[in-house]
Amino acid sequence: MLPENAIEVKNITKKFRVYHDKGTTLKEKVLFRSRRMYEERVVLDDVSFSVRKGEAIGLIGNNGCGKSTTLKLLTRIMYPDSGSIEITGRVSSLIELGAGFHPDMTGRENIYTNASIFGLTKKEIDKRVSDIIAFSELEKYIDSPVRTYSSGMYMRLAFAVAINVDADVLLIDEILAVGDANFQAKCFNKLREIKANGTTIVIVSHSLGQIEQICERSLWIKDGKIAKEGTPRDVHPMYLGYMGELAQEALAETKSNDGNEAKEEKEAEDSRDKTNSESQIGNQSIIIKNVMTYDTNQQQKAVFRTGETVCLKIDYEVLKASDEVCVGIGIFRSDGVHCYGTNTRADKMPNLSMKHSGIILVELENELLPGEYLVDVAIESAYGVYADYKREICRFITMTEFEDIGVSRICHKWHGECFNNPV
Amino acid sequence: MKLIKELYAYREMIFSLVKRDLKGRYKGSVLGFLWTFINPLLQLLVYTFVFSTVMRMGIEDYYLFLFVALVPWIFFSTSVSGGASCIWAQQDMVKKIYFPREVLPIAFVTSQFVNMLLSFLVIFAVLIFSGRTLNPLALLCLPVIMLVEYLLALGVAMISSAATVYIRDLEYILGIVTMAWQFLSPVMYSVDQVPEEIKSIFYMNPMTPVIIAYRDVLYEGKVPELATLLHAVGVGVGLLIIGTLLFGKLKKHFAEEM
Repeated sequence: MLPENAIEVKNITKKFRVYHDKGTTLKEKVLFRSRRMYEERVVLDDVSFSVRKGEAIGLIGNNGCGKSTTLKLLTRIMYPDSGSIEITGRVSSLIELGAGFHPDMTGRENIYTNASIFGLTKKEIDKRVSDIIAFSELEKYIDSPVRTYSSGMYMRLAFAVAINVDADVLLIDEILAVGDANFQAKCFNKLREIKANGTTIVIVSHSLGQIEQICERSLWIKDGKIAKEGTPRDVHPMYLGYMGELAQEALAETKSNDGNEAKEEKEAEDSRDKTNSESQIGNQSIIIKNVMTYDTNQQQKAVFRTGETVCLKIDYEVLKASDEVCVGIGIFRSDGVHCYGTNTRADKMPNLSMKHSGIILVELENELLPGEYLVDVAIESAYGVYADYKREICRFITMTEFEDIGVSRICHKWHGECFNNPV
Repeated sequence: MKLIKELYAYREMIFSLVKRDLKGRYKGSVLGFLWTFINPLLQLLVYTFVFSTVMRMGIEDYYLFLFVALVPWIFFSTSVSGGASCIWAQQDMVKKIYFPREVLPIAFVTSQFVNMLLSFLVIFAVLIFSGRTLNPLALLCLPVIMLVEYLLALGVAMISSAATVYIRDLEYILGIVTMAWQFLSPVMYSVDQVPEEIKSIFYMNPMTPVIIAYRDVLYEGKVPELATLLHAVGVGVGLLIIGTLLFGKLKKHFAEEM
């Protein structure tokens, strides 16, 4: 092991047995040997990496890629089937908070139990106990039984213990979701402080933003192998791109399923009285046949990044010509929030004349924040008279590396002394 | 060696688990910790009544004869059958954080051991009260015997707790096994009553020398024979080594088997 490294992982492979029908009782083990069929699933396949002392790395990847297993191997909860893991110094893990808490014991007693599970001696705990209590902000309640705590208080106490164990190597799995926003900020600052003191940190998280803030390096694990390794700035966009592809595939699948359903529905409808169809809105003099999303290169696409242009292509059929037409669109987030809506009249355009079937292209500067969005399209054949209105006729997904919150990005600039940019 | 060093580093965890178990056990009951003493005392009362008025055994002070063997036996049998589930019961911890897994059986057996020590206060009180002579020299052997039994119980508990993770039935099977084991150990009778032909089988039982030694010291008031002591020590240390090795092998897949 190189002296500058805190963690060295060499060629580790981990397989899990996935039992079709797992028996753990003696009867099942003895009698149904043949029935205990299992598949071997390779979770980690010949993975090697090392972490320098004082470095912080983030493990990213989609669900089931093996990143949590890697962390479990580092903590020695599990052991690799082959390969070796070497770690120098005391390892502490923020994976399970509040291990060994006993509800009937006081907060203070539980601090001792919990800290001892991290391998601290009584003396070491005595030294830290006031820090722990201060960090948890539970001074008033520290001598009441833990069962009287709210779940937030419980987690605060647990986190306070875990983070005050002075470890040389700290392993963290998705933990910065503890308590309210203030407490989270506090945890985050504490983590920075710990890092500044030279602790080596390995984080598993789905929050790329958190990793960017703390880690110098990201390891993207894909299907049990390291797909990419480098600075978060380099790795994360590639990862996001891959996730986008995955989402697009999933979307295509649901779309084809939807298509089948629609077909069935249509057949069912056809068998009923055709004129009695309730789902139709409008007089059907002009029909919206299809709406799809494209990028600026005319490529059909369903996943866009914030800031990218979304082109809506509306395919329509004219059954009865009209020259008082108005076309409108509405964009809704999947939870029903109406994000935006406009129409040709609102855009101060004159009435349109539609005589033949054709297409309309709407270019949208997509400033929407990550989420799934549904598009409504409507055509009026005359003022206030719907020719057709199609709800949720098309959907797209937005992904981003921005961390803004809300519905949409709003262009902004910061001014002030502190920005070297006086007001 | 590495294991001993690591367990030493985790000593506080063992202490606090034992403390949690002892303090937590009677939490919420009115008499609380007093139950630790009331339990054996009531047991003793029942035995005294049954064996001195209902069923006479022809052994002088039979209730004492039985009691000085039964208390150590109960420690052993709970360590084995109750200890079987001590790892399984802590799955949350085992699956989520690292600590030397040996801590769990050690803490369980230690807390049972402390319980036995407390029961011994009752034994001594009764022994003094009953007017039997206590041999001070023999009593000096008592800590050795207790230590040996502790090692023995720990060795077997390591095996039973680790194996139970893989075969869940063991927990229930062991309940019956320990009951049968009790009848096959000289707890309720003396080894002298065992027919000569099967005596050798009795001596293969690791608990036999331990029980004999306890009874020698507390009931007979004599120093146990050296052979008995050596036998007990050999069995205790041997089982502990086997248990530790087996446990070390089985512990690597605990998290996956849960």
